Amino acid sequence: MSRNPLEFSLSSKMIKPNRWLNQDWLVLFLIISLVSFGLMMIYSASGSAEMVLRQGIFAVIGLVFMIYLSFSDYQRLLPIYLNVFWIGIFFLLVVLVIPSDAATRRWIDLGIFGFQPSELMRCVLTISAAAFLSRNPRIVFRDWMIVIGVSLFSFYLVFIQPDFGTAIMVLISGILPVLISGFPVSYQIIGMITILLSTPFIWMNLLEYQKQRVLTFFDPSSDPLGTGWNIIQSQIAVGSGGYFGKGFLQGTQSQLNFVPESHTDFIFAVVAEEFGLFGVMGLFLIYLLLAFRLVMIAKNSNFLFVKLVAGTFIFLLLTYVAFNTAMVVGILPVVGMPLPFLSQGGTALIINMIMIGIILSFRRTA
Amino acid sequence: MKKFFSGKRDSESRKLILYLILPIFLMFVVLLQTINLTVINGKKYETQSENNRIVSRKIYPTRGLIYDTGNKLLVENIPSSQLNLVPERSTDTLKKIKEIADVLNLEESFLLDTFERQIKKPRYPFQPITLAKSLNDEQIALFSVSSEKFKGFSVETGLVRSVVNKKSLAHVLGYMGYSEINDVNKSSNFISGNQVGISGIEKTYHDLLSGKEGTRIEEKDVSGKFVRVLSENNAESGKDLKLSIDLELQNFLIPFFEGQKGALVALEPKSGLIKALISSPAYDPNIFNSSSSLAEIQSIFSDDEGPLFNRATMGNYPPASTIKPILGLAALDEGIVDWNTIIQDDGEFYVEGDPRPYKGWKEDGHGKVDLEKAIVESSDVYFYSTAYDLTIKKLEPFLKKFGFGSKTNIDAEESNGLVPNEKWKLGYIGEFWFKGDSINLGIGQGYMLSTPIQISQAIAVIANRGEIIKPRLVEEIDELPTELKSLGKINLKDETNWEKIEKSMIEVIDSSNGTANNIKDTRYVIAGKTGTAQIKSYEDQEYEDIRENPFFRDHALFVGYAPIPDPELLILVVIENGESGSRVAAPIAKAGFDYYLNKNE
Repeated sequence: MSRNPLEFSLSSKMIKPNRWLNQDWLVLFLIISLVSFGLMMIYSASGSAEMVLRQGIFAVIGLVFMIYLSFSDYQRLLPIYLNVFWIGIFFLLVVLVIPSDAATRRWIDLGIFGFQPSELMRCVLTISAAAFLSRNPRIVFRDWMIVIGVSLFSFYLVFIQPDFGTAIMVLISGILPVLISGFPVSYQIIGMITILLSTPFIWMNLLEYQKQRVLTFFDPSSDPLGTGWNIIQSQIAVGSGGYFGKGFLQGTQSQLNFVPESHTDFIFAVVAEEFGLFGVMGLFLIYLLLAFRLVMIAKNSNFLFVKLVAGTFIFLLLTYVAFNTAMVVGILPVVGMPLPFLSQGGTALIINMIMIGIILSFRRTA
Repeated sequence: MKKFFSGKRDSESRKLILYLILPIFLMFVVLLQTINLTVINGKKYETQSENNRIVSRKIYPTRGLIYDTGNKLLVENIPSSQLNLVPERSTDTLKKIKEIADVLNLEESFLLDTFERQIKKPRYPFQPITLAKSLNDEQIALFSVSSEKFKGFSVETGLVRSVVNKKSLAHVLGYMGYSEINDVNKSSNFISGNQVGISGIEKTYHDLLSGKEGTRIEEKDVSGKFVRVLSENNAESGKDLKLSIDLELQNFLIPFFEGQKGALVALEPKSGLIKALISSPAYDPNIFNSSSSLAEIQSIFSDDEGPLFNRATMGNYPPASTIKPILGLAALDEGIVDWNTIIQDDGEFYVEGDPRPYKGWKEDGHGKVDLEKAIVESSDVYFYSTAYDLTIKKLEPFLKKFGFGSKTNIDAEESNGLVPNEKWKLGYIGEFWFKGDSINLGIGQGYMLSTPIQISQAIAVIANRGEIIKPRLVEEIDELPTELKSLGKINLKDETNWEKIEKSMIEVIDSSNGTANNIKDTRYVIAGKTGTAQIKSYEDQEYEDIRENPFFRDHALFVGYAPIPDPELLILVVIENGESGSRVAAPIAKAGFDYYLNKNE
């Protein structure tokens, strides 16, 4: 069945001449740039070539998925999309029931790497919610309530892992399609009030270390060697970077391990320390440019499903960036949230690339 | 199916963009905060980042070594395993110290005492305190087994001072210890936590011996682990000292003091270089330098015989008859007597209108006495008379010219001694000066006190014909000779009196009537003077009764130099409660001359 590559490209071009031209190469370029930059930063933060290699392998896997999906026909996949959230729910339950010595149950150990079901959930929940809400020409109120119910259930499953940061993201990934698809404003207000009223309940259910993080955030110097350490050290890293940074591999805060978790959640501190204010602005521009291109795809499409999936993903992408960086510079409490495409972590990277792939596939039917 | 998913819905895009304002706004806030951190507070964070990673370490210089005049090593630095504690890293420190004392089989009281003294002193943060030195292999092994339990404690190798010849030069070399806070300002080379010289050469030359601290700027990681050296400023080792002490002579003379309290000074009159300096009893400085036993240290401090006290430079003794040659010179210079003046000595001296006799040491007296005979036979009556005639007004300045009553400026700790006068007596005793006080001064008794080194320096003035030479212990500093220093010259109205008084001192040994005739030697000529210092007045008690108590027996003194006419060595011997200068002190000096002069031939 092997084919001559030249023959393949020729034949594919012959059959569907718009297939390659219609691709959003800029988005692909931006993703590859971000991922490559992320590998550089992981190397700088960890000094471990092995870690870079592992992440590189995930990146390649993600890239294959992304490119494959970007050429797929999403409409034919809709029946599948409608039901993928079951897979997510399944894994979330699995991670909760399998015995573990660790205090948190976020990972399923697959030997070569740890799989994080919560990351999968925020992807499949959006897709299923969008498919569910757009399966009929008109959305009835019951549809929204079903999606909200499933979202809250998913949120709960992640929350009890416990992983507050991702749980919030999972909730957003299910709720946002509801909001974008025209959920009445009056109900939105009721929802807001409900959330506000439930805050004390959530606070009570937070673990001690999570509460401590929030408390320390308001006064890092109260515990400079404990919880406040992360905030103080990452601020020093960012602040000492200046306009242009200390240079690649020259960030003393990161190189000498003063910044904790510098290859995962605090990788932004490494970027800021080594590339300075201008590096930060450049990185933000890339994210915004990426978001803008994806918004264009959503805007140009006539399909609700497309708008809901793309819209939710873009919102999540920018929310991740905003929350993660806000936490690093010390304007939000520390919650476990990776920086998309940069932080070390296989599941999030592959999931994000799959999402990009799915959104890119919308272009073809826009 | 397709149909259901189609249809224009622009409102979604508008809603989406509306929602996107939230994260974008937050990103904008992040950017503002980044500008705040980098631009507005950049300097502050840059400093903090530098402080995080940079550690400035002191490099301690090695202390200079000390040699004797023949280049024999006297003090060295030997590696020793010591128990250190960084108080900042430990918790519940006192309890831990007790525990570690138990584990390592060390004296708990010693560790606690050391810790409590050290913790009060100024220290760099995280600078270790040395709790115990000279750990043995077993203790090191015991520590490494249980080191996990003792956070902040560590066993490290350091250099400790080690005196090679134990007791023989204890007072010259001195010992090391932890300085008191008051010393911090005095010494520019004070290294907190490190030891400083507490006495002897170690103290006097502490600045030179200790060298200069270096610094090394190191990069460390978050766990404080060394990463690399950023810059280095080398330490300057301490300077080596070569003492003028002749270890062989010193060791030869020490056995004469076995079981006795006393002091010996042997110096080269021309140069002031000290060849031997003995204070007995002595102690082992290594106990202070490296011992970890409080009991051992306390036993030295509490010893009644005062082994720490350097009698040779700090002991205050009446100079007794050894002062007579100088008084003779005073009487000659002031015109009170000449060489032909004869005084009748019948054993007692009376002041007009005072029935109290001033007794001479020889009950029947010496008969007709001139100055030479007065020195040779040590006539007390002769000098009672001359001192009475001289009066304190003339005695005091003359004695002071010879260095009595003030420090000799030797490079060791010393006392001032005392030359009394009217003002002093009124101030300290509360009485007016009596004529009898001057009379007592005539035989170097009464209120006058002098240190062995002062007497040696004063007698050396005769050997040097008026030149006052500063005594010194250090001959070379890093192979550069130290300077011979003259503290002035005493001019006599008749300069031949130097030689004439020396002639009398030769007769002290050579004449059959001389008080030190017992040490006469046909091979070389010695000039000297004996002395027997009363330490308890026996006006009311019979002398024989007083003798019953050995602590009240007279001190025996002898001072002399040889060979004449070109003296190479001056020796002064004090034996406390030795009773007789001629029988007890003079033979020791003689042995020293024999040994030294034969050796140098």
